[in-house]
Amino acid sequence: MRLTILDGAPPGTGTAWSRYLNDFTAVCRREHAADLFHLATMDLRYCRGCWNCWWTTPGECVINDEADTVLRSVINADLVVFASPLIAGFTSSLLKKVTDRLIVLVHPYIELRNGESHHMKRYERYPDFGVLLQKEACTDDDDVRIVSDIYDRLAVNFHSRVRFVRFREETTVGELRHAACGI
Amino acid sequence: MRLVVYNGSPRMQGSNSRILIQHFLDGYARFTGDSAAVAMIGKQGEREKHLELFRQSDHVIIVFPLYTDCMPGIVKAFFEELFELDHSERKHIGFIVQSGFPEAVQSVYVARYLEKLCTRLNAEYSGTVIRGGVEGLQMMPSWMTKRLLRKFEQLGEHYARTGAFSALLRAELARPFTLSPLRKLIVRLMAATGAANFYWNSRLKQHGAFGKRFARPFSRGPENGPTAADTSESSDT
Repeated sequence: MRLTILDGAPPGTGTAWSRYLNDFTAVCRREHAADLFHLATMDLRYCRGCWNCWWTTPGECVINDEADTVLRSVINADLVVFASPLIAGFTSSLLKKVTDRLIVLVHPYIELRNGESHHMKRYERYPDFGVLLQKEACTDDDDVRIVSDIYDRLAVNFHSRVRFVRFREETTVGELRHAACGI
Repeated sequence: MRLVVYNGSPRMQGSNSRILIQHFLDGYARFTGDSAAVAMIGKQGEREKHLELFRQSDHVIIVFPLYTDCMPGIVKAFFEELFELDHSERKHIGFIVQSGFPEAVQSVYVARYLEKLCTRLNAEYSGTVIRGGVEGLQMMPSWMTKRLLRKFEQLGEHYARTGAFSALLRAELARPFTLSPLRKLIVRLMAATGAANFYWNSRLKQHGAFGKRFARPFSRGPENGPTAADTSESSDT
């Protein structure tokens, strides 16, 4: 099994978060291949909405940064873990920056699925999604539903499914590994 | 009313959001005789100016395209900056979310987030105007866009008069909310005949990329090289 873990924690998030993700990655690597990307340390730019990835260089972004490494890992993974502390009620802008760049992995053509318009596949298969969050002081059940529903929608457009949404504070590394790897 | 309108499209001046804002403000100015401040969230080096405009306003409208089922990353970064400000002065904050998908239902999930964000910012939520089918707006002949842009002018005029979005116009702009059986049939017919892909195909051909439209450059395979996970030690970047 291949995992891609996107760590969207901004600098200053704290050692508990990074230790947790490092431990999670380490236990996954005992039996699986796992790529852990600390997005804060990478050269990553925002999507410009130029659509060159759809009509000039299909499937490839024209921005010259480190996103290709992430994209290659994501599309070849069995599971992608979107990991981020909640900030202002949603995952970080750092993680959203990379999520926007995933658009290169789907096709601009639209098809009807479940009675709605959605992007067609570019690749034969897409990874499942997992979401790992860290609560803010003001996080409530409503926030959790909002974030979960948005990731569910993202999964629909990416021919995927959300396998789990977990909180660092409430989930041991072993439990997260079970949710991610099923062992 | 001290209104500031933020354009959250990464395309900035070349964006469909800019066109919608322009027509909204044309209608706004028709009533007030004056325009409102407009700021491009994506403009480099203007962070302080954007935050100062926010502090000085009592009405805020943030306009953005739907990006991967949510707000674009630059808009989320802006929200994080707003979250850090002092919110003792209560403001009215509203949103206009436009997308390329024809049906409005695609944008209601982010609208729920936007409403909750206003609670966090101690702001009065003015609502979210949702409009689908906006991609390609700049390529359409004026007779096709006239009615839509007129509605945005009316929306702006109503906002200037009342300080709120018109519920009637919001409902009209959000049509279709979902695809009707007839519309689904039309979409299927268009897909079957290739008419649905006309916009994308014309752009692909214009750029000499039509033959490569189904390219899979990141597929695992010898021609594409190994993924990071294929290497002896997985990456930890």
